[in-house]
Amino acid sequence: MSVAYGHVVAVHDATFSIGEGEAVAIIGPNGNGKSSILMGIAGLVARRGDVRIFGTGAPPRNVMWTARHGLTLVPERRQLYPNLSAADNIILGCYSWTRSVHKARASDAYAFALDLFPDLRPHLRQAAGTLSGGQQQMVAIARGLAAAPRILAVDEPCLGLAEVVSKRVYEALARVHSAGTTLIVVEEVPRRALEICTRRVEVRNGIAA
Amino acid sequence: MKLGNLLIAGLVTGSIYAVFAVCVAVWYRVSNILNLAVGDFAMTGALGVDYLYRVRGWPLPLSIVGTLAVVAVFGYVYDQVVLRLAQDGRRRQEGIVITFFFTFALSFFIDGVAKILFGTDVHAAPALWNGNSLTVAGNLHIERAGVLVLGCAVVSGVMFALYIRYTLSGKAMEASGENNLGARIVGIDTRRYRRIIFVITAVLAAIFGIVESPITGFTYISGATISVTGFIAAAYGGFRSPGRALLAGLVIGIAEALLGGYVSAEYADTLLYAILAALVLARPRALGFESAIGA
Repeated sequence: MSVAYGHVVAVHDATFSIGEGEAVAIIGPNGNGKSSILMGIAGLVARRGDVRIFGTGAPPRNVMWTARHGLTLVPERRQLYPNLSAADNIILGCYSWTRSVHKARASDAYAFALDLFPDLRPHLRQAAGTLSGGQQQMVAIARGLAAAPRILAVDEPCLGLAEVVSKRVYEALARVHSAGTTLIVVEEVPRRALEICTRRVEVRNGIAA
Repeated sequence: MKLGNLLIAGLVTGSIYAVFAVCVAVWYRVSNILNLAVGDFAMTGALGVDYLYRVRGWPLPLSIVGTLAVVAVFGYVYDQVVLRLAQDGRRRQEGIVITFFFTFALSFFIDGVAKILFGTDVHAAPALWNGNSLTVAGNLHIERAGVLVLGCAVVSGVMFALYIRYTLSGKAMEASGENNLGARIVGIDTRRYRRIIFVITAVLAAIFGIVESPITGFTYISGATISVTGFIAAAYGGFRSPGRALLAGLVIGIAEALLGGYVSAEYADTLLYAILAALVLARPRALGFESAIGA
């Protein structure tokens, strides 16, 4: 696949595959196309080329399709709903598979998401926009997990976070992977991602290998 | 007692402004478009029912259902044809000035069609609850249509609040207004919510037009005044806070009634808009206008 923003080509050629159950780190310097690859896969930005998720071709620029077909994106800068509570932000992750708030609350996915971040429990009723950066990132990942994804794609999970918080985030991602979820992590700092990821895709000047 | 009756009248009018202001705010949050046609849907409801019932001789229930159905279908088609092209197409139109014109033009279109169909005279839908005004607490009077207006406002408000608070779909609608991208990432079809809210807004406005018109009567251009007042009330909530928009609508209705009763019936609206404009100039941030500018 390739991704361009107007006349600016962010990704020239990214050709790779990810097996079910793998944990893959997409690494490379800033501005080289890592996030654009992930956004192209998820359908957040227009792309050229072919993306297949579990054998089915993903339509370009349709992030709702990918959410409903097993790939959930935790985007860079979280994209939470600031005036909704942390609990509401997380439970909306269940929207891709149910419209019942009762089924969502009773689901294993929601319980697992909350269980992963016990630090969030005292803040579940708090408006998401008033949480700290680390707490917001936990809410964003929990929201992604509430969707019960087969693939969790996380873009820069520790952007702007303190080291101790980053460690906790990665411990949670390691648990997610151990539970059987395929993991894709875009990370500028390879050291952290490669502690939990089994493979790497390096991106330089918009080319991934 | 004059003050009491003015307050009641103001509350009735204010509840209409409040509901329309909430409709404008809720839809703006999801679509980033200001709905300037909301008052025209109210006018269509009132004059449509009058036309079908009085001119065509349809039974009243059928006139109401028929009018609401036409309004709903028209709202749906408008979203599919105009708003979808504008917002979902390859060249998405953004910017408050451009998107402003989509419903501004719609308002003129509806007024034009209404003039042809209904003429320029004052008409009203028949009263749904016939009889003299009701006496409350000894010497306070309220028109029966006013009771229906308040009832509709309370029912629609409570239903909306319950929907938002207790259903996943309601939370999804809120999420669409809070962060469009964040909503799409979890599979929420924000365009669908935009369409649903637009159609519900149109039908709700039409219902209020039907219920309220026996009190004031409507002409083909009555919608504009309601739209502008609803728009101003929504502005006091930054076009994003339904709670503030509701409160502003009620206050404007009451202020309008008090100005009309104690200062001048002829210049009540002029004075009211002068006061509203002065407030905005004096304390924009306190009234929520900065968030409107930043929106």
